[in-house]
Amino acid sequence: MSTAGRTAYPADSSTTDSGDRTPRRLSPEASRMPGALGTLAAQLRAELLSSSRVPEYVVGVVAVPIILFTMFGLPNAGVKLPGGTDVGAMMFASMSAYGVVSLAIFTFGVGVADERGKGWLRRMRATPMPFWAYFVAKVVGSLAFCGLILLGTWAVAALGGKVPFDGVRLAQTVLILLAGTVAFSTMGFSLAYWFRPKAASAIGNLVFLPLSFLSGFFFPLDQLPDVLAKVAPYLPTYHFGQLVWSAIAPAQDVIAFGAHPEGSAWVHVGWVLASFVGFGLLARAGYRRELSRAAQ
Amino acid sequence: MTSTPASGSTTTPAVIRASGLTKRYGDLVAVDALDLVIAPGDIVAILGPNGAGKSTTIEMLLGLRTPTAGEVRVFGDAPNAKATRARVGAMLQESSAPESLTVAEAVDLVRHYYPFALSLDDILDRADLSEKRGNRIAQLSGGQQQRLNFALAIAGDPDLLFLDEPTAALDVEARHLFWEQVRGLAAHGKTILFSTHNLAEADALADRVILINRGRVIADGTPEQIKATVATRTVRLVTDVGVAALAAFPGVRGVEVAPGESVGATHPTLVVQTATPEDLLARLFAGGHLVSQLTVTDTDLETAFIHLVGATTQTAPTATPDTTPEHVMESAS
Repeated sequence: MSTAGRTAYPADSSTTDSGDRTPRRLSPEASRMPGALGTLAAQLRAELLSSSRVPEYVVGVVAVPIILFTMFGLPNAGVKLPGGTDVGAMMFASMSAYGVVSLAIFTFGVGVADERGKGWLRRMRATPMPFWAYFVAKVVGSLAFCGLILLGTWAVAALGGKVPFDGVRLAQTVLILLAGTVAFSTMGFSLAYWFRPKAASAIGNLVFLPLSFLSGFFFPLDQLPDVLAKVAPYLPTYHFGQLVWSAIAPAQDVIAFGAHPEGSAWVHVGWVLASFVGFGLLARAGYRRELSRAAQ
Repeated sequence: MTSTPASGSTTTPAVIRASGLTKRYGDLVAVDALDLVIAPGDIVAILGPNGAGKSTTIEMLLGLRTPTAGEVRVFGDAPNAKATRARVGAMLQESSAPESLTVAEAVDLVRHYYPFALSLDDILDRADLSEKRGNRIAQLSGGQQQRLNFALAIAGDPDLLFLDEPTAALDVEARHLFWEQVRGLAAHGKTILFSTHNLAEADALADRVILINRGRVIADGTPEQIKATVATRTVRLVTDVGVAALAAFPGVRGVEVAPGESVGATHPTLVVQTATPEDLLARLFAGGHLVSQLTVTDTDLETAFIHLVGATTQTAPTATPDTTPEHVMESAS
């Protein structure tokens, strides 16, 4: 508690002339709080705590990619592609990319929709909390969970499957995966703000599985029916997959893996960035629509 | 505690200053040109039946709803200004915290939204949640949820506290504890504005009561003044005095033939609304009139309002429409 802080506070920034700026009447027990960074830290802590306690989230989002890798990636560990890349490493990249898209849809989409539906976001608006803190905490929190997915999958691959990783390629892959978590966050936020809270979960599942299949996270794209394989290049998640595979292995091995890379890396980056910005604008429009609706 | 009901004075500082505050939903007027000046340190009750526009009013004062017309200033600033929100706490209906957090975690989170806050232990203590601090929010009962809402509302040590139907889910004992805490805050000079449809609650707590119905202020004054206006007793009796003669008795606000009675009966059961049943009965006995099958009950607020608002029209109590503003609001949101 700081007496100096108390006298410094009064909301002098107001611009009215009505003489209604009555002094702050703090209780003797009140103390100064740490400010915006403190808000962000508290929000992040709450985000991590609450997510880690929801079994659907921990199992469905964090554990599933690791489990899928164990089931489908591990048996292929040790198989070498012509350029020397282990198929286990390719599968590590695929399952991690799947995990990233799933995080985006479920943390930012379904999770935010839930808090919106329960009136929690409305209550937050009645507080002085800056709303960016809420979004930033969501993104940082999901980066932490993304880290867990990558660590878990890597551990199964490297320790369980003795899959050899090239250090530099692994580092690049991890960076791209983390960047993807941020990039696809706006896709989730759009989902949360444009669908009714109760529908968001169903829509999330509906969107998510086709996206994962069509982007080649489960099967190499050349094993997909032609029609579906033709849809793939129009999905930002497909381009994200291309970036991830190109990071983990040389082009020769990416082709051998069946991911048929087309176009330059910049085209892929362009698609992912366009998705980030495009869905970002959509999410912002949805957020504003929500604000003006709530004010009705 | 300075209570200056409805003084539109612009010289004394006001915590809330609203003028011409109006909210329309299509043709329906939920809040109709409300003027309001609330002085610092007041405990003000907004009293009215369901659908009177209480919640809509509070949400506009909080800056959560945009008025169709009129203006609101809170602490001399816009209600949604950050500086204003730093000094305001609100207990709203229908808002729940993330279910997988514990009580203490949720309260601590909200503390960090404010520039100043009460200590976690202090807040939990005031909200009577110390024993539940480790419980997940999902496990709380309705009353505990309500106490949590209160804890979240006071976390930032607000100078102005809005409580929208705060005791709806509380039992008698919890209500008592709750109001004790609110009084404690008021003793620190905090301004408190709460809505209720319970006259007794407004009477016990507030030093100013604003009576609203259909979005309009019907009366504004001390609890005593309001009680004299609203508190009506319902007297049912069979008597030989006619309806018109009875209606002319002092203090009588309305007389009806009881539902189901035939108007042509010699002495039908009558239902009389009066603030002073004792006077009525004294007069009847003094005049040697027939008085039988007598019952005297408190009139519920809804009925009292009908007699207050439509004193001349004699609307039947069942006429409270389903299309009251709050219903419309719910279906619109």
